[in-house]
Amino acid sequence: MLSDFAPLWLSLQIATFATCLIVVIGGPISMVLARVSFAGKGLIGGALILPLVLPPTVLGYYLLQVLGREGWIGQGLEHTLGMILVFNPVGAVIASSIAAFPLFLLPARSAWEGVKPDLEDAARLLGRSELSVFTSVTLPLAWRGLAAGAVLAFARALGDFGATLMVAGDIPDRTRTAPIAIYNAVSMGDSATAARLTFAMSMLAITALWLAGRAQPSPARGSRS
Amino acid sequence: MSEPRLKIKLTHCVHETLTIDVDLAISQECVILFGRSGAGKSTLLRLIAGLIRPDSGRIQLDHHCLFDSQIRKHAPLRSRGIGLIYQDDLLFPHLCVAANLGFGLKGRPRGEVVSRVAEIARLCGVDHLLDRAPATLSGGERQRVGLARALAPRPRLLLCDEPVSALDLEGRQSLIARLAAVRRVEGTPTIYITHSPTEALALGSTMLVMEAGTIIDRGTPLEVLGRHGATSMADWSSAQNVFTSVIDSHLANESRIKIDGGPTLIVPTLMRAVGTPLVVRVRADDILLARSQVEGLSARNIVEGTVDQIVRHGDEAEVLVRTGSATWVVSVVPTAVTELGLNPGVEVFMIIKARGCHILDADV
Repeated sequence: MLSDFAPLWLSLQIATFATCLIVVIGGPISMVLARVSFAGKGLIGGALILPLVLPPTVLGYYLLQVLGREGWIGQGLEHTLGMILVFNPVGAVIASSIAAFPLFLLPARSAWEGVKPDLEDAARLLGRSELSVFTSVTLPLAWRGLAAGAVLAFARALGDFGATLMVAGDIPDRTRTAPIAIYNAVSMGDSATAARLTFAMSMLAITALWLAGRAQPSPARGSRS
Repeated sequence: MSEPRLKIKLTHCVHETLTIDVDLAISQECVILFGRSGAGKSTLLRLIAGLIRPDSGRIQLDHHCLFDSQIRKHAPLRSRGIGLIYQDDLLFPHLCVAANLGFGLKGRPRGEVVSRVAEIARLCGVDHLLDRAPATLSGGERQRVGLARALAPRPRLLLCDEPVSALDLEGRQSLIARLAAVRRVEGTPTIYITHSPTEALALGSTMLVMEAGTIIDRGTPLEVLGRHGATSMADWSSAQNVFTSVIDSHLANESRIKIDGGPTLIVPTLMRAVGTPLVVRVRADDILLARSQVEGLSARNIVEGTVDQIVRHGDEAEVLVRTGSATWVVSVVPTAVTELGLNPGVEVFMIIKARGCHILDADV
């Protein structure tokens, strides 16, 4: 029975790596989209949230075309670094990252936009450097929105099925995540395993929603920091 | 006149129909910047603060060059030593009041930060709010905290962009009295934008009138209001006399207060000790004027003074009366000015009821 939960543990690992990747890449991107005006901003912003509306299998197909051993990125990486991105855990992380990326980007962009530039100017006039303004005003005011986005992205990455299956396949103990394991269990008539995994995934999803709600900004909070 | 501390000579095109073109010098004083909406007052403050880069010119504060288009210098905001308070207080919502006040003191020894925060909080009347979050404060309290935060690092210049415009009457009077009191202690040169003659008279030693991006007049508030008060620039609708004072003595059923630089007034009994500082407000509409000493009145205060200026606007006139170093605003109808023969230099008696003297704030 304990082995039933191996896909769940794998899902948690993949979702954690994916969330880290999303925050590291999405944090600066969301800030640029929120604060910098440039040509093609609308197009880039739209392209980045496309995974939200594309069917997961369609997204997975595109990723396979780009990251696969015949794809222009996959082929290049394999020839230069000997690195293969598909049908392994790395592929699962990439697929779930891209599928979950818009769920971080949208609240993160709103969070940066919600910080009044006048507050940052007030901090500068009080003698603070740009780094200090960022760490003592911008980030503390935006972090709740960023955290809410990260939690939602984690939940989405945890539950990704279509894109992960297309890019990483269904390899036991390597890429068989909990959603894929549930599908397999149902296909094979193993209702007990499917129910256990479904219950565990539901609890994780509810916890993520609760955490995202807790992370919503509250102006009444003040600290001495 | 003392050596100018701020020298400004700049031009800046805001849009097709408005170009800021200013050449002025300011010393250790509170300069009132007066003018219609859209005249460029707030833009000028933002140019001085460095929030907008001027097209050309030079700005020098003390011996520091803040901007010089010839050598392409535009000093960063953090090194300007300028405090700014806005209509919107812009407190940091995630920090308590104490942390807001200490924000501009980063890098100084902890003991110095603690003592300076305590000192400026007491001066601005927010020492009882130090643990509170900004969201839990009233509008007036937030503005007083904003004032204290701007002054905490001892800026070389304080810029005030209509800081009381969003406050109710009591909040306005309280903040103005605090600002006047703090200025006496700290002596920070200040530029203060307002539409209110009362604020100008309470705070300003010099008044500038701005129109279409340029300074069109300069003088004391009394002189300038005398020349421009009749225009729609002035907001006389809530003219108030606000003075800082102390309790002088207690009588049988009333108390006597001494206005700073002005007369003593009898007011309803105050349950505070002699010597307690306070702020007194008397509405301009609640004062009667007489040309000679009057007897047999129920009013408890008859104060002798000299007419300084008469400002006419619409169906009303404001008589500015000087008693010592305090200037009073008295609202009358224009026919009263004619019938009483009121002119600058004429001796008058102001008749003020004890109950017309409102004590605003007992811990200035």
